[in-house]
Amino acid sequence: MESRHGRKKEQAESPEALKTREEKETVLVREYLALKDTLKEIVESNKRDNDALKVTTALLRKSPDYYTIWNVRRTILKEGFLDNASDDETANKIYTGELEFVQENLKLNPKSYWMWNHRRWCLESMSQPRWDKELAMVGKFLEMDARNFHGWDYRRYIIRQLDLKDKEAKDKVLERAQSEFDFTITKIHQNFSNYSAWHNRSTLLGKLAEDMSTEEREAIVDNEFDLVKNAIYTDPEDQSAWLYELWLIGREERSISILGAHVISFHPLEIVVAFDETVKMRNPFTVSTRVDHVAIPLEGEWKATGSDSALGSVWIFQQAPGAVYGPTVEIVIFSDDVCAVRAGSKLPAAVCYELETLNQNLDEISGRLGRLVIGQNLMYDVTKRIGPVTGPDGTLETQAVHPKHRVTSLTESGSLDDRIALLEREISAVRELVELEPDCKWPIQILSTLLSELRKTVSIHSTQAKVIDDECIELQEKLITIDPLRQERYEDRRTQLVFDRETLSIIQDSKRFPEIEYSAKQPTNLDLSMRGLTHIPISSYLLHLHTLNLDSNSITSTRFLRNLLNVRRVNLSNNLIEHLEGMQHAPSLEFLTLENNMIAKWEDVVAGFVFWGEGKLARTGGHVKVLLGNNPVVVNEGGEYVLEKRWEDVGKVGVEIQWQSEELRLAEEALLAAEDETGAVGNMVVDGTRRVSATVVEFDAGLAH
Amino acid sequence: MSVPNEETTAVDASAPEFLLDQHVKYIQALDTKKNDLEYWLTEHLRVNGLYWGATALHILGHPDALDQEQIVEYLVKCQHDNGGFGGHIDHDPHILSTLSAVQILITYDRLDAIQVDKVVDYIASLQNEDGSFSGDSWGETDTRFIFCAINCLSLLKKLDDKRLDLQKTIDYVVRCRNFDGGFGSSPGGESHAAQVYVCVGTLTILGALHHVDADQLGWWLSERQLKNGGLNGRPEKLEDVCYSWWVLSSLSMLNRTHWIDAPKLIRFILEAQDTETGGIADRPGNMPDVFHTVFGIAGLSLLGYPGLVAVDPVYCMPRHVIQRIGLIEKH
Ligand SMILES: [Zn+2]
Repeated sequence: MESRHGRKKEQAESPEALKTREEKETVLVREYLALKDTLKEIVESNKRDNDALKVTTALLRKSPDYYTIWNVRRTILKEGFLDNASDDETANKIYTGELEFVQENLKLNPKSYWMWNHRRWCLESMSQPRWDKELAMVGKFLEMDARNFHGWDYRRYIIRQLDLKDKEAKDKVLERAQSEFDFTITKIHQNFSNYSAWHNRSTLLGKLAEDMSTEEREAIVDNEFDLVKNAIYTDPEDQSAWLYELWLIGREERSISILGAHVISFHPLEIVVAFDETVKMRNPFTVSTRVDHVAIPLEGEWKATGSDSALGSVWIFQQAPGAVYGPTVEIVIFSDDVCAVRAGSKLPAAVCYELETLNQNLDEISGRLGRLVIGQNLMYDVTKRIGPVTGPDGTLETQAVHPKHRVTSLTESGSLDDRIALLEREISAVRELVELEPDCKWPIQILSTLLSELRKTVSIHSTQAKVIDDECIELQEKLITIDPLRQERYEDRRTQLVFDRETLSIIQDSKRFPEIEYSAKQPTNLDLSMRGLTHIPISSYLLHLHTLNLDSNSITSTRFLRNLLNVRRVNLSNNLIEHLEGMQHAPSLEFLTLENNMIAKWEDVVAGFVFWGEGKLARTGGHVKVLLGNNPVVVNEGGEYVLEKRWEDVGKVGVEIQWQSEELRLAEEALLAAEDETGAVGNMVVDGTRRVSATVVEFDAGLAH
Repeated sequence: MSVPNEETTAVDASAPEFLLDQHVKYIQALDTKKNDLEYWLTEHLRVNGLYWGATALHILGHPDALDQEQIVEYLVKCQHDNGGFGGHIDHDPHILSTLSAVQILITYDRLDAIQVDKVVDYIASLQNEDGSFSGDSWGETDTRFIFCAINCLSLLKKLDDKRLDLQKTIDYVVRCRNFDGGFGSSPGGESHAAQVYVCVGTLTILGALHHVDADQLGWWLSERQLKNGGLNGRPEKLEDVCYSWWVLSSLSMLNRTHWIDAPKLIRFILEAQDTETGGIADRPGNMPDVFHTVFGIAGLSLLGYPGLVAVDPVYCMPRHVIQRIGLIEKH
C-alpha cells in the first residue's frame, strides 16, 4: 500500500540538462529491461544456479519492492542450494549471506516490507537462528530512526520468537519482558515524544502485571504516574505522555441501564423497553403472561425503533396475532440478551418487569411504568428462558453481587474509595498544571476526563455531580476557544454534559446503583431551547415527553424523533437540519416546526417519510403538520412560495406540509376567523407586496400504502 | 450514471483552486512514461495503480477517461490459476493486487470477465488458524491483508463461504486494539492511521463495530490533524495527504468526520496539487504520484468538496457503485 514519499519536486531544468538526463535514463531503462528479460528466461527454464541468483541480486538492488523477485530468489536458494546442502554449516552460510544482503539494502530502503519478510524467512528457516544478533541489529536500527514502524514490529517479532522457544520457562519470558520494558525507558528518556516506546511500554506493563500481587501492581503503576508527570512537565503540549496517562487512569466501565418498561397499546399488546444507550439484541427478551397462576410464554416480536430494527435504545414488543395474555405480563431481560454498541458496557444482571394489563385505558396508563421486580421469587432458568424455577434466595442471577471498581487500567478494588482517592490525587496534580499552562489543551482535556470519571462514582442528583457538570461544561468552552481545529468534538462533549444536566428530572438513581431509571413522575414538557446542543445524545430519555422545545440550537439530525413515542409537538426551528429522518416511528406526532433550517431539497423532506406507510401513525390515521417556512427548499417564484415538487410523487400519506412561515399563517388564520365572523369568503393573505400561497397539500392517511 | 457530490461544504475562498482537468490528464498520461526508469521500477504496483487511477477518475466524474476494454483484457492476464491476481502480468499473486483487480472490475461492472469462484478459493486458502489472513502463500500476515480479504469477499458477496471462520477474524482484529483505542498491524503493534482504517473497515463490513470505542478512537484520530490542516498517521509525525483518507474514512465510519477542521484539510490537500503536471503529492512541494492523487481526491470527496462524485468510506470506491451492487441502500 505504501508508495513513494518525501520526494522533493525539482526545479525546471535547462534543455541541455534535460537532454543529458534523458539520455542517462534511456541507458538505465535499457539495462533494467535487459535484466528483466534474463529473469524471465531463468524462471521459464527453471535455472537454479549462481548466475540466476546474481540476476535477482542485481534486480533487487534496483527494485527492492519487486516482491516476485524475492519469491524467485527464495525458490532458487531452496531448490538450487539449500535442499542439497551437505550440512547445517553450509546452509547457515547461505542464510547468513542473505541476512547481509538484506542488511545492506535496508539501509537504503528501511520501509520496504518485503525485505523485512525475507529476513524473517531466513531466520525461521535456519537451524540455529541468532536472535540475539537480530535484537542487537534492530536496536541499532532504532537508534537511527527511533519511530520506525518496521523496526518496532520486528523487535516485537524477535521477542515473540524467543518467547516461543522458552514456552516452558516462564521466568525467562518475564525476564525478557522486563528487559524490553527497560529498553522503552531508555528510548523515552532520549525523547519523551517517542510514542512508539510509550505504546510498547503499555503492552509490556500489562504482561508484567499479570503475575504481580496487588501491592506490586500498585507500586509499579504509581511509578508510571511519576514517569508521566516528568514527561508532561517537560513538554505539556506533547500528546504521547498524556495518552499514556489517560490509559493508566482507565475508565470505570459503565453498565447498561434499563430506564423502564411500559405498555403503549393493548390491541394488539405493545410493550416498550427503554435503555440508556444503543444496544444490539442478542436474544429476544423473554415475555410471559400468567394465566391461572401458570406462566406461559407470550408469542411476539421485538423490534428497535430505528431504521435498523436490530439496534436501538428503544425496543417495542408486539404480540403475535391470536396470542392471549392475562392480567399481568412479565418481561425478563438477561444480561447476555443485549450487548452495547459502545465498547465496554454491559447489563450487569438480569432484570424483570411486571406490567399490569387489567386496566386497559390507554390514556390513563400512558406513561405509567412497569414495576421493576427485584429479588422476588422469580428465578428463571436461563437455559429454558421461561418459567419459574425454585431458587433458595429468589434472586434472578447471582452475578454482580460484589462489583469490582476500577482503580487504574491495571488495578481493581472491591471498594469505590480507592478509585476516588486516585482520581482526586490526579485531579489535583493536573489542576496545578492547568494553572501553570492555562492555554494548553491537554491538561484541560485530561482534567475533564478525570472529573467525568469522578462523577461516575457519585449519585446523579448529588451536589457534587452538579458541580462537576458545571466545571466540565466550562472546560469544554475553554477548549473550543484554544483548539478550534477540534471545536466540534468539544461541542459534542459539551452537548452531552448539558443534556445530562437538563434532563435530571427525567431520570433517577436506580435501586441498583450505579444504574439509572426513569423517575417515578415524568415531566411531559421539556424546554431545551438555546442550549447550544449539536445532537440529542440519548433520545430514549425523552420517551414520555408530549412537548419538546429545541428552538435555536445547532442540531443537525432529526433521527432522534424515532424514539419519541409520546411526543405531540416538537419545535426544531432555528437549527442546522438538512434533511428529515426518523419520523416513521413517532406515532403521536402532530406538529413539527422546522422553520429556519437548511432543508434544501424536496427529496430531503420526503426521506423522512419513506417508511411512513409502515409506521404507526399511518395505520392509526393520525395527522402530522410540518412547518417548513424559511428553508432553502421553499423557493419564492414570482411572489409565490412553492416547493420544488409536489407531494404526490411519494404517494399518499397522512402528512400536511406548510411552507409559508408560521407567523404569516397565524395572521392568515386571524383574518379568516374575522371573515368567518362577518360571513365573508376567505381570501389569500397579502403580505406587503408579496402574495403568499396558503395552500396545503393534504392526503387521507387511510389510503396510505 | 454518477451523481455529483450532494454534500457541499464551505470552501475557503483563498484556497487554491481544484485542478480537475489537470488531474484527469495526469492519470491518463501515467501509462505513457515508458522512458522513465520509475515507470519500470513500479511495475509491481501496476494493478494497484490502475485501481488508484480508475477510482480517482470516477470520483472526478470522468469514468471513461481510460480504455475500459484494454484494462479488463490486461487484468484477465494478471489472474493466476490459483485465482489470485499478481501486481502485473507474470508477477506472483498477492491479496493486495487481487483486491485492486476486483475493485476495478466491479467499478466497471465487468466481473463477468474473470473466474470469481477461483478468486474466492484463493482468498479462502489464505485464512490462517487464528482468523487472520496471509498476503500470499509465503505467509506474511498483517491486518491490511485481513481487510483486503474481507473487503474483496464482501464485494463478491461471498462472505458466507463455508470455508471461512469470520468470528475468528473479528477476534483477531480485536486483539490488535491498543491502549489508545487504535489498531496496529498485528497484536501488540503500534496504532497507525492506515491500520486503524483497515481494522475499522473490517469490523464495519463484518457488523462488529461495537468492538470499537468510537469516542476514544475518534479522539485519537482527530488529534492527527496538525496546525497546517494536514493529518499525520501517528502522534508526533509529519502530515501526509494519504492520511486524509485513512483518518477521514475511519472517522466517517465512526460518524465523526466533523471532529476535524474540514476547510483546513481541504486547503492542505489543494496545496499539495502539482500545478504543472496535475496530480497530488504527499505534501506541498513534493512530487505527485497516483497513490496520493486518489487518496487526496477521495478525501476531498468525503469532505463534500463540490463537483466530485461521492466516495464510499469503507470500500474507497464510488458510492453509486457500492449502491449498484447492493451493499448500501440507495437513499
Ligand atoms: Zn503518504
